[in-house]
Amino acid sequence: MHVGADMDRTLLLISTLLALAGAVWGAVSVHRGSRTWWTLVLIGGAFVAQLGFLELRGEMRGACPLRDRGEILVFLAWSLTLFYLVVGRPYRLSLVGLFTAPVVVLFQALALWPGVMTLQPERSVGVDAWREAHAAVSVLSYGAFALAAVTGVMFLVLDRQLKDHHLQSGLFRNLPPVRELLAAVKRLLWIGYGLLTFGIVAGAMMSHRGGWSHLIAAVAVWVFYGGLLLWQQWRGVTGRRLSLLAMVFFLLSLGVFALV
Amino acid sequence: MELICVGLNHRTAPVEVRELFAVAPSKLGEAAADLRAKIDVEEAVVISTCNRTEIYVSGEESSIVQLEEMLGGAEHCYHRRKMDAAVHLCRVASGLDSMVLGETEIFGQVKDAYQAALQAGVTRGVLNRLFQRTFSIGKKVRTETGIQEGATSIGNVAVDLAEKIFGHLKDSEVMILGAGEMSRVTAQSLQSRGARSIFVANRSYDRALDLAQQMNGHAVRFEDWQLVLAQVDVVIGSTGAPHTIVHKEHVEEVRRKRKYRPLFFIDIAVPRDIDPAVAEIEEVYLYDIDTLEQIANEARVRRAKQIEVCELMIREELEKAKLPGL
Repeated sequence: MHVGADMDRTLLLISTLLALAGAVWGAVSVHRGSRTWWTLVLIGGAFVAQLGFLELRGEMRGACPLRDRGEILVFLAWSLTLFYLVVGRPYRLSLVGLFTAPVVVLFQALALWPGVMTLQPERSVGVDAWREAHAAVSVLSYGAFALAAVTGVMFLVLDRQLKDHHLQSGLFRNLPPVRELLAAVKRLLWIGYGLLTFGIVAGAMMSHRGGWSHLIAAVAVWVFYGGLLLWQQWRGVTGRRLSLLAMVFFLLSLGVFALV
Repeated sequence: MELICVGLNHRTAPVEVRELFAVAPSKLGEAAADLRAKIDVEEAVVISTCNRTEIYVSGEESSIVQLEEMLGGAEHCYHRRKMDAAVHLCRVASGLDSMVLGETEIFGQVKDAYQAALQAGVTRGVLNRLFQRTFSIGKKVRTETGIQEGATSIGNVAVDLAEKIFGHLKDSEVMILGAGEMSRVTAQSLQSRGARSIFVANRSYDRALDLAQQMNGHAVRFEDWQLVLAQVDVVIGSTGAPHTIVHKEHVEEVRRKRKYRPLFFIDIAVPRDIDPAVAEIEEVYLYDIDTLEQIANEARVRRAKQIEVCELMIREELEKAKLPGL
């Protein structure tokens, strides 16, 4: 048990350092105006270490490792990394890695902060399948929302550079086109929204020992994102507003985890 | 036998001289073979583009005068020998000697000229090794330095910006306001990169029709340009109007219909066609002719700064190669 407890944090530390190296290496390459595969390799390594961490914690818990805020933060970081690897790469959004890595580092550094994560996790008894599905799918949806927010930041950077005619930086040369960034934000919001919908349905089916406040907050997040997507789909919204709202909604939605 | 280059180019000879000695691409091999028959040289390659005609031979120093005479005399010619000739060829193939610094077309033209001479059977040990080495050095110079980075003409800057906004242009539609030459060239550049359709609005509808036909596009009556604004992604302004044509309220009126999609204005008219206040609209990116020219000029300056790096690379690579005839 002690070995596992030490090993899980060791893996998390390795994952955080790899993501940090990916962020630094990516930033240096972009500053030089060159492209690099190392960011992808380092973030891929961080992803593998995250999987190792979650596997160990899952074994200790005997359930999905989403029982304390530290685990939720790591699961969120893993989900964000997963969406970067699955969605970001095929859509030529290579620079998303550079913007994703600092968020992963932040979440995991917070999880490693003393007192945030239980060092000796208790084994769960009487696992509720709906609860497990609710927790896992909901956090996965926040990973998609997080990446939408990250991609929104990229859009805002590019938009400012194009508006101000500042076109000489390595960052400008490496950023994907405006239209692709906006398409990625929309796509990620829809994916996140679909997953959150399933997570909320599962949440409504599970037993509610701790009250309904968490589920009500999740439904509020669902309503906000749904409103944004409907607004965007039917009436249209500028790229700047879509990106800003994707960022604001994601930051506000993190409040849901305070009610876990 | 040593390597010799004799030639004339856009710096040494005006176009009326250059055109006298230009050789059609299909005749390059024949020209090299003729040359070897007339002058006492072992090998020959003739390169001919709109900006230069150059002859590379493996022969004696005495052949320089004869080669210069073939190109109209020493007045408009230059000659290089041994290592200087090899360096010159590498500079030419790398675009360092071109009118537009770093341009890529010349590399293919040099390659074609060498292929023609090779097929005509007028190259051997000296020129074969020289040209093969030149092509690898040319590739290295282009990939490892910034000699071809950035667009150096207004049209190319506009196209690069359009791709930065829209990615592939195959889903993009373009409207030209004014049927002038600059707008035609810019629109053609966008079309060559895949722009889906072109709309031409001009005060003279006949000229709009004419240009639209040339570009496989659609003519629009000038009073209807605002209707088309709702659907296009790129607007090129180049009318000769003494005042601005497109104002903020024109764009505001179609924003909702456009679903707030990005809109790129390229204003190459003087006086300007697009009111600068249009750029205050969130999804609008506006570039006027001064901004485009400044971007092109910055790229030219950046390329010029790379010349020294490229020349150093060329000399190092040639010295390593230890080619015969140098």
